[in-house]
Amino acid sequence: MKSVFMTVWLKEMKDALRDRRSLMAAMSYAFFGPIMMAVAFMMIIQDAVSERDVYVHIEGAEHAPALVDFLGDRRIFAGSEEQQARDIELHIPSNYQEHIASAKPVFITVRADYSERSDSSARSRVESALREYNNTIASHRLTLRGISAEVIAPIRIDKQDTATKQARAAMILGTVMVFVLMAIFFSGMNVAIDGSAGERERNSLEFLLAQPVATHWLVMAKAGAAATFALAGAVLSILLIPLVFIFVPLEKLGIDFSISFVEQLSMMLVLVPLAAFASILQLFVSFRAKSFKEAQTYISLVMFIPVAIIFAVEFTRFEHPALGLLPVTSQHRMLLNTIGGQDINWLMVLAGAGVTVLATAALVAVVTRMLRSEKVVFGL
Amino acid sequence: MIVTNGLEKAYKDVKALKGLSFHANDGEITGLLGPNGAGKTTCLRSIYGLIKPDTGSAAVDSIEASVAPLEVRKRIGIFPDKFGLQERLTAREHIAYFAALHGLHGDARKVAVQQVIDDLDMNDIADRRTSGFSQGQRMKVALGQAIVHQPQNLILDEPSRGLDVMSTRILRDLLFRLREQGRCILFSSHVMQEVAALCDRVVIMVAGQVVAEGSPTELCERTGQASFEDAFVQLIGTEEGIML
Repeated sequence: MKSVFMTVWLKEMKDALRDRRSLMAAMSYAFFGPIMMAVAFMMIIQDAVSERDVYVHIEGAEHAPALVDFLGDRRIFAGSEEQQARDIELHIPSNYQEHIASAKPVFITVRADYSERSDSSARSRVESALREYNNTIASHRLTLRGISAEVIAPIRIDKQDTATKQARAAMILGTVMVFVLMAIFFSGMNVAIDGSAGERERNSLEFLLAQPVATHWLVMAKAGAAATFALAGAVLSILLIPLVFIFVPLEKLGIDFSISFVEQLSMMLVLVPLAAFASILQLFVSFRAKSFKEAQTYISLVMFIPVAIIFAVEFTRFEHPALGLLPVTSQHRMLLNTIGGQDINWLMVLAGAGVTVLATAALVAVVTRMLRSEKVVFGL
Repeated sequence: MIVTNGLEKAYKDVKALKGLSFHANDGEITGLLGPNGAGKTTCLRSIYGLIKPDTGSAAVDSIEASVAPLEVRKRIGIFPDKFGLQERLTAREHIAYFAALHGLHGDARKVAVQQVIDDLDMNDIADRRTSGFSQGQRMKVALGQAIVHQPQNLILDEPSRGLDVMSTRILRDLLFRLREQGRCILFSSHVMQEVAALCDRVVIMVAGQVVAEGSPTELCERTGQASFEDAFVQLIGTEEGIML
């Protein structure tokens, strides 16, 4: 019966490869992800590397020219006609000089909307500049009174970052991995629909099922063809990642990105069972649909689930032991660890693959049962 | 040889088959004639095991469809109620695909496919993709798919619908040739002339039951009517749903 698998698989592949338009659409996911991320990174890098001038509202600047100069050295200026100030107000009271001279505390107000995320780095720059100025005056005063400034700094913090450059890369490159996983779910979609709902729509399903062929081989071959495309999409994007990042100056973010061919290969291998799972899931959904269009609607709804899971895990960094075993999340973890240069627990990866294969087999059984039911086949 | 015995099938509140029994012999063309909605398609589907009858049995060469559907399907060629083609594959690829599903590979497959293409006189369209094929050309491809494995039994569900004169002739010649080879041919139709012209035996069914069986001449004699058409109308008791 193996020859049945090959026959159906070859025919589905031939048919799908001749459909240039949907082939291009499928593979564009693979191209799209890494390139979009590269563009995004270039923008982040530009933003982070060039420390730009910050313009704020400064009220009462005439009371504290020395402070305003100090802020100016830190590239914090008062806004003007040409340079619109951000919504950060700095209020220097009129009794500033008097209080400084008599060594009384001065209340400087910083008014801003602290929930505004785009201003957060500007706010913290203003605050740290004020703190720095505060320390400077304090140490001057102590020195004048004959006390070493070290007296009020009993503890010094020495920050030592143990994050490897690769780990820092993982934080950012994890987002790229999301696109690799999405390629798995989107590249094979058209092939899966065409082999199921499409088969029904063009009225060839009944004849196919009336052939002397065990239904489970038909199901597996159709899923196999879709999975081949899904995997091709993922392989393409995995191969593209290092190429794209040659052009992105990641080292400016302190990120050292390198990925070996062996690592790429192991990623591809780990994605094989996931591709099978994604494809049989798509077949399961679209065999229930009566037409190609209907199947597309259902599938995009169902495909939202794995994508949502990937995004949720990626951005919330939610951790649970079960995640290492489930389809989608176990593969996601392996990809992240690989790109982060961390040790990979191959036993867990294997277990995750096993669970994925089991889930796939269960779905094959369900779809096979569906195709034996008159209701599903003839849409009664 | 196809035999059905007391087939019954109900869909929700509709009884499609009510104890249908008939047989189709080797070396004969048997026509299953009945008005629309008589249960012809349901009957044929239960012969090749895509529909499970509630009671009764259908057997091909003494093999029961409900017991060993794959064995049954090896012995029959099917020209289904609806046949769709893959627009991006050529006619030859279609036929070769189904030859492979019937276990033909390599050179044996090539020979079998070419044989069918010659038989159906379709060398001119064999290597063209099927998008844009006419109804007659599509019918040829579907027929080729059905007979590429040289089945002993051939089941055709309304094979002549939408065909022009030339295509009908090709179909008729093919059926006669297969009959001479001693094969069993069962086809359903609601077209009177077609059945009268082609069939050795006619099974007339109405509302899921057989109302008469025999050769067209026998049926005329039995009803005392001069034409087969009048005989048919008398047998089914209504003119509804018949195409004259």
